Amino acid sequence: MKIFVTGIGVVSAIGLNAEENLRSMKSMVTGISKSSTHNLMLGEVKLSDEQIIKMFDLPNEDFSRTTLLALLAAKEAWGNNKHHSGIRTGLISSTSVGGLDRTEKFYFESPNDKSSASYKLMTHDNGRTTERVAVELGISGFIGTISTACSSGANAIMQGARLIERNKLDRVIVGGSDPLALYNIKGFSSLSIYDQDICKPFDESRKGLNLGEGAGFLILESEQSIIITRNKPHCILSGWNNAADAFHQTASSPNGKGAYLAMINALIKAKITSEKIDYINAHGTGTGNNDLSESIAIQKVFGDNIPPFSSTKGFTGHTLAAAGAIEAVYCVQSLQSQLIFPNINFSIPMKETGMLPETNYRSNVSVENVLSNSFGFGGNCTCLIFSNAN
Amino acid sequence: MYITASSTISHQPTFRNKGFSSTISALEPLSELVTPDYSAFIQAMERRRMSQVLKMAITCSIDCLEQAGLSQPDGIIVGTSMGCCVHTKNFLDKILSANEGLLSPTSFIVSTHNTIAGQISLLLKNHSYNMTHTQNSLSFEQALIDGMLCIENGSSHILVGGADEEEDEIYNMKERLNDEKIHLTCGVSFFILSNEKGKQASINLVDVGSFGLINDFSGIIMEFLVSNKLSPEEIDMVLYANSEQEKTEELKTLFGHGKIFDYQKITGTYFTNSAFAMNYGIDILSQREHPVFGEGINKVLVCNNLIPENLGLILLANKND
Repeated sequence: MKIFVTGIGVVSAIGLNAEENLRSMKSMVTGISKSSTHNLMLGEVKLSDEQIIKMFDLPNEDFSRTTLLALLAAKEAWGNNKHHSGIRTGLISSTSVGGLDRTEKFYFESPNDKSSASYKLMTHDNGRTTERVAVELGISGFIGTISTACSSGANAIMQGARLIERNKLDRVIVGGSDPLALYNIKGFSSLSIYDQDICKPFDESRKGLNLGEGAGFLILESEQSIIITRNKPHCILSGWNNAADAFHQTASSPNGKGAYLAMINALIKAKITSEKIDYINAHGTGTGNNDLSESIAIQKVFGDNIPPFSSTKGFTGHTLAAAGAIEAVYCVQSLQSQLIFPNINFSIPMKETGMLPETNYRSNVSVENVLSNSFGFGGNCTCLIFSNAN
Repeated sequence: MYITASSTISHQPTFRNKGFSSTISALEPLSELVTPDYSAFIQAMERRRMSQVLKMAITCSIDCLEQAGLSQPDGIIVGTSMGCCVHTKNFLDKILSANEGLLSPTSFIVSTHNTIAGQISLLLKNHSYNMTHTQNSLSFEQALIDGMLCIENGSSHILVGGADEEEDEIYNMKERLNDEKIHLTCGVSFFILSNEKGKQASINLVDVGSFGLINDFSGIIMEFLVSNKLSPEEIDMVLYANSEQEKTEELKTLFGHGKIFDYQKITGTYFTNSAFAMNYGIDILSQREHPVFGEGINKVLVCNNLIPENLGLILLANKND
């Protein structure tokens, strides 16, 4: 059974839609800059909550930015789709922040007054931030939220595919959204893994990551569904797998076992061998630990035939739960436009592996199968494979 | 599909107490968590670092694996609405008090929603499928559906749990449910879903539904029953949680007065209490002649309408039924 990708939407520090994101990468322009509020290099979406609320003419209520960013990307992906009684349509989002951005605002503004603004705490739960998106898209029925830290977005996409495969849904909007919450900014700071400049994924001199915010969504459909919707498939989601690294709560294992298992099993699911992969959109956060562990896992899977690979986090920053979904959109664009994205800021290969990421924006290349890697806290490793539809 | 192990730690004496459904009664107003001796399950070093909810989850997981005679499951799936929110609040407090000073990452790194599923995989050295669902009152149902997908796709044994801890400062549950009188509790329940009958008693997990933003409560229940080729008369017991009285009336009309039972009297209120209700249903089904509910209970429906716009349905049956 084929899982068709018929819509994409993305918002990140390098653009408010798919076209803008592509253009920024083509012109090698990063979205990471010094934040005026946090004195840190961050990948901020250049729209305030108020601007998004006004844009969609939303009612006057206390929206989590998780919902607002998700709406931007999900509405772009949904496009001119219509509801149809013969198509069971679901929504699966993912987030690590959920409504915590609103909770912390209240908590820090009035730490001693826990009653007066308590209504704000109502947005705290992750599920609610997804339901609010469902309301705007007119979706009811299967509504779910995944939260597995930095692999969340990829897991939501996988979940949608699995539900279509088992005939539980015909069409599903899948993706992830995470705003920059002070909670995560302080949290990653406490782990001392920030690069004070723009991150350098896979570079020997890499110092750490930059946080970013954004959202990415895809429309997945069954064969039955596209007969009715007449949507033209961009590509198919051909392989997926999730595996646990089972090594450490935050660190990746030195041998990259979880990443290796997820890649190998995704290839098996897609029924292709590793030589068929034309591009890898790596997780590549720019931390010493991730990039080494991921490189070792890639070497184990691909041997001497490592395809062009790059991390796009030098453009967007690490958007946590949204990362897997934003990068899935990029993979679809890679197949659609037959191009490979650059890994900016790279100069010196890592001494352990000597691996060279793609540093140029390459168009007019033949791309048939693309692998997207996403790894998260708790050793959660997920890989997706997108392939040409025919 | 079979449920070959089940384990609950709650405000009731549920843990390692088969037949608990015939002895436990409605929660006392100031009830507290009934905890087992964790030292039998988790080493002292690890125990000290763990939050209450994590200790509960790991203990229930180990209990389930022992019941099913398994060393490793083929997947670990957790449903949790609020995740590790006690640690979330701890870290918020630390940010407040630290100002620009250095922060310890301890609470931060274990405050992600997938800490529970991740820590179980770490402890078991389990490299299989690992997932965390967080859809407020439907978190557990979403996890169960995921577990069923795994079994349908060929897995043999999947560990599925529902877990939520008690925390009332960063989330106002009473306001969310528009009910000041609810009895806030917490609890953790884990189960093993299997593609074959277990050595000991096992129950059929017939079907699970998760419906968000509903507008036709009775209609969805009827459709769910019809899709399982059942009529309301064939359901022997409905364990329900409603936050609106009119929904309870609808259930009475649909199933009859005598068959419906408000499980929140037993479980108290937390977002994944339908997992406890499922274990309660399993315990009832496991007893041929139930001392409280009598004989002839072969099909139980867990009807979770804790949040008025969301509906979870879990259909259980005796394995020979």
